[in-house]
Amino acid sequence: MSGPIISLTGVTKHYGSFQALQPTDLDIQSGEFFSLLGPSGCGKTTLLRTIAGFETPSGGVVRIDGADMAGVPPNRRPTNLVFQSYAIFPHLSVAENVGFGLRRSTQSKAEKAAAVEEALGMVGLEGYGPRPTHAMSGGQRQRVALARALILKPKVLLLDEPLSALDKKLREQMQGELRRLQRQVGITFILVTHDQEEALIMSDRIAVMFEGQIAQLATPEALYRQPDTRQVADFIGVMNFLPAQFVDGSAEIAGLGRVDLPDNEDGSGVVGLRPETLQVLYDGADAPARIAEGDVVEVTYYGDMTYYDVRFDGADKPVTISMKNLAGRAVLERGARARVGWDPRALVVFRD
Amino acid sequence: MKGGGLRLYALIYLLFLYAPIILLPLFAFNSSSIIAFPLQGFTTEWFAELTGVEALHGALKNSLFVAVITAVFSTCLGMFAARAGVMHQFPGKGPIMGLIMLPLVLPEVIVAVSLLVVAINVLGIGLSLWTIIAAHTLICMPFSIAILNSAFQNLDASLEEAAVDLGESRWSSFRLVTLPLVMPGIIASTLIAFTISLDEFIIAFFLTGGEPTLPVYIWSLLRFPQRVPVVMALGTLLVAVSILLLTIAEFYRRRGVRRSGQQDHGGFL
Repeated sequence: MSGPIISLTGVTKHYGSFQALQPTDLDIQSGEFFSLLGPSGCGKTTLLRTIAGFETPSGGVVRIDGADMAGVPPNRRPTNLVFQSYAIFPHLSVAENVGFGLRRSTQSKAEKAAAVEEALGMVGLEGYGPRPTHAMSGGQRQRVALARALILKPKVLLLDEPLSALDKKLREQMQGELRRLQRQVGITFILVTHDQEEALIMSDRIAVMFEGQIAQLATPEALYRQPDTRQVADFIGVMNFLPAQFVDGSAEIAGLGRVDLPDNEDGSGVVGLRPETLQVLYDGADAPARIAEGDVVEVTYYGDMTYYDVRFDGADKPVTISMKNLAGRAVLERGARARVGWDPRALVVFRD
Repeated sequence: MKGGGLRLYALIYLLFLYAPIILLPLFAFNSSSIIAFPLQGFTTEWFAELTGVEALHGALKNSLFVAVITAVFSTCLGMFAARAGVMHQFPGKGPIMGLIMLPLVLPEVIVAVSLLVVAINVLGIGLSLWTIIAAHTLICMPFSIAILNSAFQNLDASLEEAAVDLGESRWSSFRLVTLPLVMPGIIASTLIAFTISLDEFIIAFFLTGGEPTLPVYIWSLLRFPQRVPVVMALGTLLVAVSILLLTIAEFYRRRGVRRSGQQDHGGFL
């Protein structure tokens, strides 16, 4: 029975009077693709650097594979870090960069060369060894950094916003490749990112952080469907927030009417609805669970999707609805009336 | 001709800048002992005479000793300061960095006199080549720091961390990653400190004990008119050595830039 590969207990970090990391407990399982997600300054990079050993926690215990890491410097931890800037050594060739971590190993020259070539093959850079690194593109440098970190076969690979410097197309391609690579090598990956989409696509589990604290830790699906707080819901995707009055196990939602929502205390609160759980009803559409009507106040056309802002009769603020642009389906114009179907099962209740 | 006036200005400017230096070899190979046109015959007599002067050899040895040690001290200390200044934050950083750059604008006479007082009256250690070395290190350090600052600023701070992360110690990371990357700056700093120290006169004049440096020795030679051509020959050699050193420095700097694939922002030559 093996415990978690990474285990943080009450880990804190402050710089002077600034609390970068509130007391944090976190277990990460072996072989997991784990993401730390949050806006800049939320402490996610501090947490990653604490695991790597570049930051000394102000309090608490960091365990890697069961061993207390207090006083263990980064060069003796079973972790390797892929830096945001890649930190490719500009005076060394691709092969020298990738083989840098093997300098201290007792392997023979031939064994090291084979290991370098294997690592390069893993990231799709076979035969690039003798090249100088400065002639390489951003995506290739990223792969060199990955190969360099993976060649030491760390127990945990830490990635600090590794894709933020790439353009959109390349980023999407690398997201897929990182996922494939992680399955192939079976190493625990911990990814720091501010891009919620990236975290959702790649991770087994995500910890969402705000102001030095983990706000929610869940699988991508649970995080999207059942966010614990409004802050999390707002950060992950788009969420419509609607004021609601709870009375006797049901809620009166402005513009949408009354729905049964048992097990909620009486009083005022907020419910959330994702844009794709609402749908504009065209003639001949199946009758959905519930229908509301309102005016289209804004139309945003994305090509594959159209986002409508619809203000329901009796509501103050419009809600956002996303619709696929199917063949033969007309795009509504601003000012049109819209009949909108929705499902009470999609409601998320926030009591914070 | 378009811009004729400016071209003429540029020409006169360059002439004014380099004509005196061109005169050095001209008179060094002139057979008359009087420094005046028209030139007489060609001779290498003055160079031959250089090799025979014992005092000159002593002065040259003193100067080289002072310049080499000053260059090493100044570059080492400058490297500590530049690395700290660029890579770390600490309280009072602004004023501290300002204070170590101050000797750049202090009059050398003031530095010389105050160090003379310190050496003789306060410390009572007397004068030697080491007092000159101390003073030269003081005035060369701002130049070293300025040069090394830009070398360290071009460096990604995460490079050293990456090396540590890959298993190296702090020191070996510095040696394997930072040092090769700032090497052009180190060479430049060493050569410039060496050059400044080699031809520095005022401080050396004040702080010299019984062992004069080359500039102090040259100054003493000028009192004997018949020795002036020898000084010219000496000057010619110094210019040749300076040009050689700067060429070497520039060669290494360009190679460093090419290797690391950085943009070449022009060197000091």
